[in-house]
Amino acid sequence: MIEIKNVSKWFGDFQVLVDIDEVVQRGQKVVICGPSGSGKSTLLRCINGLEPYQKGEIVVDGVSLSDPKTNLYKLREKIGMVFQRFELYPHMTVLRNITLAPIKVRKKSRPQAEKKAMELLERVGIPDKAGAYPANLSGGQQQRVAIARALAMEPACMMFDEPTSALDPEMIQEVLEVMIGLAKEGMTMLVVTHEMGFAREVADEIIFMDAGRIVERGRGDEFFKNPKSQRTKDFLGQILK
Amino acid sequence: MFDAVLENLPYLLGGFLTNVKLAVFALAGGLFLGTLVGLGRISKRPWVYYPVTLYVNFLRNIPLILVIFWFYFVMPILVGKNLDPFVSAAVSFIVFEATYFGEIFRAGFQSISKDLVSAAYSTGLNFRQTATYILVPIAFRRMLPSMITQSIITFQDTSLAYVIGLAEMVRRTTIVDSIEVRSIQLYSFVAILFFIICFIGSRISLHYEEKSRKAKVL
Repeated sequence: MIEIKNVSKWFGDFQVLVDIDEVVQRGQKVVICGPSGSGKSTLLRCINGLEPYQKGEIVVDGVSLSDPKTNLYKLREKIGMVFQRFELYPHMTVLRNITLAPIKVRKKSRPQAEKKAMELLERVGIPDKAGAYPANLSGGQQQRVAIARALAMEPACMMFDEPTSALDPEMIQEVLEVMIGLAKEGMTMLVVTHEMGFAREVADEIIFMDAGRIVERGRGDEFFKNPKSQRTKDFLGQILK
Repeated sequence: MFDAVLENLPYLLGGFLTNVKLAVFALAGGLFLGTLVGLGRISKRPWVYYPVTLYVNFLRNIPLILVIFWFYFVMPILVGKNLDPFVSAAVSFIVFEATYFGEIFRAGFQSISKDLVSAAYSTGLNFRQTATYILVPIAFRRMLPSMITQSIITFQDTSLAYVIGLAEMVRRTTIVDSIEVRSIQLYSFVAILFFIICFIGSRISLHYEEKSRKAKVL
């Protein structure tokens, strides 16, 4: 589904990604953790073609992002993305937020798109908020709308960039439950998060990044019980406290 | 007590109409050129960004009255004939106000978070769609209060065109005053008229500001 081959990226002189290699198979769930500034979010943005990279290659569903002929807009339809600060369109209702892309990009009819949007709102547990504006929703509700918005394009893969770090503690669970539900349905997922409970429960693979490199990777429990590098041990020690 | 005003009312109001017309031209042209200037100021192309920035910084740092004078005296040399004061004033205002509107546009666009744009892109929207449905509507809501405020300032500033002999209201008032010698009532009348228009404008601006604040779009 996603192949990252030897990817490096620089912001000016500063190297944010150093020779990243990773393969995400269809249906696989990969959790990326690491200290801030380690390049996790940048990696997600590169996979979605939101940021250029200078070396290596990223291939999504057989299409290379390095190829100048690749239509990035088309490619992004395959990957849904959820951001730390929700990024809902503040001037549109929840329903419009979800139906905008299906109507404009997929050329769906409005009733068709709205029917689908209502199903998705049902699924994330807030069908009664369809007519509300983002400003009138709690953080947890906004993030669930953001997930529904991404799902409305029926993506083959979902990427989450610290989806719970801007939330009050009591709202984290409601968002994680939606994500766990998605994982159980077999969605391919790439999740940057420090929610280690979530990582334990759903991750097929956990990647630890530091200073633009993948320092360590492992399967669920094994990663937490026997971290190999000292850097990973220190990090886990800090967040599991 | 407003006898001198009443006697010359059609003449004075005719001047006021000139202020309104000048303001309409200045705003329409200023907004149009200002949008281009704003886009130039956020452009990543150096050959667009630097000339536009130079233009903006230059004009924003000289008084409007000098721009009006300069245009009026320099344009005949460039075009080869004397310009009508109204045309000359309108051009100076457009060129001057565009820099202010441009900066309002720039601030409006730059206030939109990079991630919001990324979110729109990540659903498959292309640049044109993102601009049409997300960037412009949000930027416009955020810019509206400052745009109305700037429009009020522009309207007040139209009276400066009297320096090049444009027969707008202040100019006509000085003419009437030189005959009637009723300075206090005449200038009070001008002030009241400007005040009414601008006060209404500022209330409208406040209304939109409140509205956007409530919707948390600001």
